[in-house]
Amino acid sequence: MKQDPPSGTQIARLEQLLGAARTTTDPASLSAYEIDGMRPGAAVRPADADEVAELVRVAAGEKLAVIPCSGRSKLAVGGVPARYDVALDLSALNRVRAYDPGDLTLSVEPGVRLEDLQRELGEHGQFLPLEVAFSERATVGGAIATNAYSPLGAHFGSARDFVLGMEFVTGLGEIAKSGGRVVKNVTGYDLHKLLIGSLGTLGVITRVHFRTFPRPAERRVFTAAFGAPSAAHEFCRAVAASALEPRAIEMLDPGAAEISGLAAQFGASVRDWRVVIAAAGSAAVVERHARDLEHMARGAQAARFEAWTGADAAKCLRAIREFVRLALEHAPTATILRIALLPASAAALAERIAAIADAHGLDAALAIGAAGSAGTGYIALWARAERRAETSLPTGRQASAATGASSLEASADERETSLAAAIKELLEAASSGGAAARGFVEWCPTALKRRISLWGETREDFVLMQRVKNIFDPHGVLAPERYCGGL
Amino acid sequence: MNPKLIRELQNLLGRDAVLFAREDLLLYEYDGSVESARPECVVFPSSTRDVVEIMRLAKRFETPLVGRGAGTGLSGGALPRAGGIVAVFARMNRILEIDAESRRAVVQPGVVNLDITRAVAHLGLYFAPDPSSQKSCTIGGNVSENAGGPHTLAYGVTTNHVTGLEIVMPEDGRVVRIGGKAAEPLGYDLAGLMVGSEGTLAMVTEITVRLSRTPEAVKTLLAVYDAVDDATESVVEITRRGITPAACEMLDGWTLRTVEDFVHAGFPRDCAAVLLLEVEGLSEAVAEQAAEISEVCRSRGAREVRVARDAHERDLLWKGRKNAFGAIGRLSPSYYVLDGVIPRTRLPETLRRIEEIGRDSGFRIGNIFHAGDGNLHPLILFDPRNPGEFERVVAASRAIIEHCIAMGGALTGEHGVGMEKNELMPLMFTPKDLALMARVRDAFNPDGLLNPQKMLPLGKSCGELRVLPQSVGSALPA
Repeated sequence: MKQDPPSGTQIARLEQLLGAARTTTDPASLSAYEIDGMRPGAAVRPADADEVAELVRVAAGEKLAVIPCSGRSKLAVGGVPARYDVALDLSALNRVRAYDPGDLTLSVEPGVRLEDLQRELGEHGQFLPLEVAFSERATVGGAIATNAYSPLGAHFGSARDFVLGMEFVTGLGEIAKSGGRVVKNVTGYDLHKLLIGSLGTLGVITRVHFRTFPRPAERRVFTAAFGAPSAAHEFCRAVAASALEPRAIEMLDPGAAEISGLAAQFGASVRDWRVVIAAAGSAAVVERHARDLEHMARGAQAARFEAWTGADAAKCLRAIREFVRLALEHAPTATILRIALLPASAAALAERIAAIADAHGLDAALAIGAAGSAGTGYIALWARAERRAETSLPTGRQASAATGASSLEASADERETSLAAAIKELLEAASSGGAAARGFVEWCPTALKRRISLWGETREDFVLMQRVKNIFDPHGVLAPERYCGGL
Repeated sequence: MNPKLIRELQNLLGRDAVLFAREDLLLYEYDGSVESARPECVVFPSSTRDVVEIMRLAKRFETPLVGRGAGTGLSGGALPRAGGIVAVFARMNRILEIDAESRRAVVQPGVVNLDITRAVAHLGLYFAPDPSSQKSCTIGGNVSENAGGPHTLAYGVTTNHVTGLEIVMPEDGRVVRIGGKAAEPLGYDLAGLMVGSEGTLAMVTEITVRLSRTPEAVKTLLAVYDAVDDATESVVEITRRGITPAACEMLDGWTLRTVEDFVHAGFPRDCAAVLLLEVEGLSEAVAEQAAEISEVCRSRGAREVRVARDAHERDLLWKGRKNAFGAIGRLSPSYYVLDGVIPRTRLPETLRRIEEIGRDSGFRIGNIFHAGDGNLHPLILFDPRNPGEFERVVAASRAIIEHCIAMGGALTGEHGVGMEKNELMPLMFTPKDLALMARVRDAFNPDGLLNPQKMLPLGKSCGELRVLPQSVGSALPA
């Protein structure tokens, strides 16, 4: 993809706004902002919403494309941008603007690191149910803009359930807001819901209002290992049908168990399927989970059932939270699909995944969140030959993928072809459960992005999404073509 | 109304599905508010296909079109403010699918809220949003208004329980499916935009709802207070401790006595306030939370905390709560029910402020509301026959709503904006916020034929703000 870099005068205009200290133009520093091998002409670090609005207005006037970011852990998610002139680095918008522990409500800026925020909330005995991958870099803005997966969704729902409102800057450079700061509110259109997961294509988030939750008195993690996938599925469905209220319930196939380190950590056969369950609450509630889960695991012919506390429990939780990152460390050019799963079709889909991967000479790993209920499946695919070729964070990974620096260049095209075919088949298999189950490619190497449709077939609601995009960003200033079929 | 349009509607739907005689229309000029707006014609679609054709006719004849469920709404959402056609969804009342394992049901908009729960109760499931009108209100109306209810404290309002919709677009009758059974949307969260859009963006013809599992244990408590402040301080402390009851309702002493005289629920007649609390979930958690709540209430001055001994006692307590407005209707020629939200930490001072406003304006203001999530329903009793009284109600209402906003709260927690508060929107939103919302509406509803003059201010300038007491009368808030 060719684009004219921003001219010297355009950069100068941006520099005028924030000053040289907050405008980065030297190529070496800008490499940290690369997306799909594209390097912006400048990175700017506004300090508040007014500056963000001003920058977007100037960019719109100059016909420059802007992509917001802060922790930069998930820049590889999304389509190849049509243009990328300015990285709008929100890491200086990193203040907690209001926190009312007594009301369990919180207003924060997008650049706040989630780990820092959780620590602050922890001092008041509270937390946000956003336990996302790349935890030491992930920020509030990125987690919301990518609708980052959190295993706690099994209990708390996703961001749309606990984000109360937002302030954002549209592609016209206007500051706007919707929702509010209180836990119950139906005033006006819920525009903020549109921004969740929209990859910065509708607005630059400048503030998010959350509902917070009380920390449980106790936490315990349970792992069960099953020789047969059917037994693991049966167990998860039994848990979902029971009165229990696990905070997370994640099923890992043998490949996912290996990637996540759970196989090595906690024994059991390498061929086993694992289920990781987090229970929380009072001692009596946790004890009840322990009792009932063990009983159900035995009923489902579990090969092992174990309970973990302290550091071991934390390791289990980290493994499921960081699945995406661990998969990318295991196979840096892995393609990772995120799929909506219904319990009735999960087992059949798991079989199809294995068959499709096998037919194309690929290795696959499957992790299912909220297993046993309507949940989320992550499927990682990579060429069988590839093993820990390199270990790097995703920004490094893009660079290597873009330049094709791989040990297997000769067959790169062949591998891409079979991967592309496998992905197409998987997306079809995912939606064969009716309009209900659907998926998209969350992570994949740039070269492959250009060959496949990351969101599968265009659906009938695409025209409405285009309409939404045109309202929020009529000039295509914000992250052009990053989202859902070129929005 | 253009007789040609009526003829075309009759051809499309049959004569029995089109009302246009003056006496037939009378029934449809009201909703849960007493503000009225008479439709020129009422139609009863039986299918999505019918809705598509009605939409196309409305467009062709440039006639406003408003959807209506059971007409229990409290902000005038279903009233045809600009005349035109009202489409009543009573005949689209089928439950199309129950997927117990995925915990989803696919229903038509005319299905009554409580009927969803009735249809799935034998599977150990229920539909969580429970507005007080749940025996008659429809899911289509719930979706339009993003309805709430006492139990939304723990489980969220309608939007948290809708995962998919089939909608008909106003400009060309195009049918679009958005979302589905999946827990998360793929692409922009259009269902999240539609729920609570008050019928201004599209017509909903099918809804996929999330079902919840019936809890293993339930306990209902009644905490009795001699001082309102002690009750509100208890709510603050329960919230602060991170206890999330399934419901936490407050009734002040005056309201309570009025209710007790009518319902005989066993409420103490000599107290200043009660809290009606419910905890649900695992039996272990329920036992502990009930004990902790009792302890908090007692330590904050409750003179008594009763626990309902059985389902009968529990039903009686809830009967008192849910029939409260009927009871009050016996006492006063008219009343105006407000709906506002405040941060829960601000409850004590807000109740004091409401009392002060009542005293200063000379009105009796009752309080019966969702204390646990700070969703107030102050109820102003007045007599519209007294000259000048109506204007003073308007002023008192405005003072209360302004206080809510000043506390960092919201204009409406569950009743919607509709034609009641559209001119108050500038209290909460800037002209830019409102302009963006207007652009969204205009993009989906370009001819402005779908539910015109609702939710957003009519004038371009902020101008003078007015509270319009549409909800005067026998309203039944959630």
